[in-house]
Amino acid sequence: MKNKEITEYAMSLALKHGCQDVKVVLMQNNEDAIDLRDGKMERIHHALARSLVMNLFIDGRDGFFYTNKVEKDGLEAFIRQAVETTRMLEPDESHTLADPSLYYKGDGPALCNFDATLSQMDPQEKLALAMEADSQLVGSHPSIISAETRYSDRQYQGWYLISNGFQGYEECSRATLTSICTVEGTDGQHPMDGWGESRIFFKDMPRQGIAQTALERTLRKVGQRPVQSGKYTMIVESPVAGNLLVPMLSAMTGQALHQRTSFLQNCQDVQVGSPLLDVVDDPLIPGTRGASHFDEDGVATKRRMIFEEGRLRTYFIDTPSAHKLGLKPTTLGVHHMVFTPGQSTLEQLMGQAGKAILVTDFNGGNCDPSTGYFSYGIEGFLVQGGVIVQPVSGMNVTGNMLDLWKSLVAVGNDADPWEAELIPSLMFSDVNFSGI
Amino acid sequence: MENEITQSVLCLPYADKVLDEALSWGGDYAEIFVENTTVHSLELQDQRVSQTQQSLIYGAGIRVLKDSCTGYAYTMDLSMPAMMNAARFAATAGNGGERLSAAALPQVPAMPLLEDNVSIELMKKRLLLLDETVRNLDGRIIKVKAAVATRDQQVLFVNSQGCSFTDYRPRASVFLRVVMEQDGQTQMGFATLSLQKDFHQFSETDFTDLAKTAVDRTAFLFDAVQPEGGEMPVVMAPGASGILMHEAIGHAFEADFNRVGTSIFAGKMGQRVCRPEVTIVDDGTQAEDVGCLRWDDEGIPGQRTVLVDKGVLNSYMHDRISARHYGVEPTGNGRRESFRHAPQPRMRSTYMMAGESNPEDIIRSVKKGIYAQVFTNGQVQIGAGDFTFYMKQGYLIEDGHLTQPIRDINVIGNGPRALADISMVGNDLLIDHSASMCGKGGQSVPVSQGLPTVLVDKLVVG
Repeated sequence: MKNKEITEYAMSLALKHGCQDVKVVLMQNNEDAIDLRDGKMERIHHALARSLVMNLFIDGRDGFFYTNKVEKDGLEAFIRQAVETTRMLEPDESHTLADPSLYYKGDGPALCNFDATLSQMDPQEKLALAMEADSQLVGSHPSIISAETRYSDRQYQGWYLISNGFQGYEECSRATLTSICTVEGTDGQHPMDGWGESRIFFKDMPRQGIAQTALERTLRKVGQRPVQSGKYTMIVESPVAGNLLVPMLSAMTGQALHQRTSFLQNCQDVQVGSPLLDVVDDPLIPGTRGASHFDEDGVATKRRMIFEEGRLRTYFIDTPSAHKLGLKPTTLGVHHMVFTPGQSTLEQLMGQAGKAILVTDFNGGNCDPSTGYFSYGIEGFLVQGGVIVQPVSGMNVTGNMLDLWKSLVAVGNDADPWEAELIPSLMFSDVNFSGI
Repeated sequence: MENEITQSVLCLPYADKVLDEALSWGGDYAEIFVENTTVHSLELQDQRVSQTQQSLIYGAGIRVLKDSCTGYAYTMDLSMPAMMNAARFAATAGNGGERLSAAALPQVPAMPLLEDNVSIELMKKRLLLLDETVRNLDGRIIKVKAAVATRDQQVLFVNSQGCSFTDYRPRASVFLRVVMEQDGQTQMGFATLSLQKDFHQFSETDFTDLAKTAVDRTAFLFDAVQPEGGEMPVVMAPGASGILMHEAIGHAFEADFNRVGTSIFAGKMGQRVCRPEVTIVDDGTQAEDVGCLRWDDEGIPGQRTVLVDKGVLNSYMHDRISARHYGVEPTGNGRRESFRHAPQPRMRSTYMMAGESNPEDIIRSVKKGIYAQVFTNGQVQIGAGDFTFYMKQGYLIEDGHLTQPIRDINVIGNGPRALADISMVGNDLLIDHSASMCGKGGQSVPVSQGLPTVLVDKLVVG
């Protein structure tokens, strides 16, 4: 059966066995990966995978089911058992499908974020791209212990069918080239770092610069050590700045709110950060990663402010949470998130900071979702007078998320336009670092 | 029968043909890993068992090795044509070398697919017991979320060296989250339990104990503070503190990182790395432990591996590739998340053997430091050796006594230095059976860990 027919067949079986409502998604992933190490092939991987996800609704009960055995013969037994299991749940009237009036109607423009050629091209083209980057890295510096280059790509296609009136199809793709380098350090350490870039279309993949950037980022880490504990200005480099938004976004979900595990309870339109905290979800821009006309419930997406000059403008309310909280549902999560950029480059931020710690990566740590208290391991550089003076590691940054975002004092202009989340480098004042 | 798998039996009647195809481009080793896994989970929220998730995961992964190069492909269609296609792709790792033949295979075992005998009623009953027990323990409780899950994996494995086996790997887990409110302040605590056995083998006591643990942990947080950070002695409580073994040492002892020279412990085999009181093992033989493996995922029998023997680095954790590189036998550490993944060296149950110190004496020896008890997650930078673990709850130690409750701090150190800084080892080894998952290279596998009370002379506390 073709993929769309599988969704129709699965839905007909579920309805036949007594479901009142059904949501079916058939997902297909096509993946290739090539790893090179020290100039030799280390791994080659290929996969074409299909899987079926179903939500079954029976008398106020809702069950979630997954299988990758999607042949016609096995599906009926799987669905029959799924129905039986769903019937054994206790009813919860909040568990319903989304309001059909919110569904995407299929009238939007093409989003142009799928490269159909990825699964058709000669694999040698992908290998050649990886080998080109690898050749720029291997042997390029005497300190290198190990040099890796990884190419991977993925095509995703999803067929959606919801019994109260939604039918949709979405597709996206991503190709990624990454170089990773390990070098001899001091005190027996082997600093490792890398650089990777992703594109929607293979034709846009960069041919130069990735290996060199990976090597530079690794070499500058030699001699890392913790510095004195205390309050510093913190600059978080663009590629990892989004890590600090994750606890905020997690605390804004309907689940977190009605389960009382959110430090952002009752914060709609409340000032939760500095006026520079300005973030929009802009899911309908063709050719951008994350762009999508609808969320996983079929609800139409739209441009909306998440934070506007520091005020929290929207929660992420799914349909069950909307029932429980007495709120209107919104779309689930973010799709293409854009943090309103400032005027400064990363170097200019460093120049403005005086004495600061530039965070280039996080090493573990966590944030308590009910209180917002966090502690993260970091690595990066001590910066003075706009220049790097010492590579830093073995330190923690601690505080509370609400205090942190209120201390945001500058925003860079260096977000990667090829990512789904465009977060530039961010600068925070008076952040607590623990070291020696 | 020649070209198809029956719906009720896991078998590979054409394994020899697929392995021959896999070796057709000059590979020197090939294997087929077939899996049928069923997952059932049931969740209680707002005093109702109103959510379920069930999964059926089914397919075969074919791996071909040529020296240290891996070709991997998987298929969810176990018909002969689909398997041959996957084998042909994986075979490209051979890169056109001399063609070998698979060893004559003994009778490839067949494994009847298990009837789905998970009792949803029993799972519901246990969840409701858990909810009731929790709510009776403390009047400040405002929310309880609990889930039980079973994961039953059946595996059939065949390789070109003539090895084959079938295995049944059940795993049952319980997750509990409690939210309390006091004076307008909300706190959230948790407790989990995961064992390699069938769900019905859990006792009622397992659930009531878990309820008490979660409630105690949540109530603890109302009085706890984030301590002032800095470098200080850290006493690791017995049990879950095994996260120190996992992050500070375990990953860096996985032989793939050492084979390519990136681990900070590369080239240190046979060297003294810490005091003689310290012996660390990675063990795949502990029954019911989620790290227990009768066979690993590349056909090596489960075993116990001494990583550090009385302070001396004794063995890395090997898969077939790294064992070849070092000229040693594989240690049974080749694990994979599912048929979609090639195996890599992974931990099983990693722990430090008990020492001779009295735990009270260890605490008494510290003038000012912290006592670390409950953890959520950890991480390590393999090359630099910098590791972290997030401590959810513990105490300040002042003048040899546990004083102020503390919470939510990251502890950070460097693997070799932390290992060398272990100065006292308690006599109270405890293996922790929380639901711990370990991530590496995009794969997640269940692990466990353990530790006696241990003093690390200095770590950076967040």
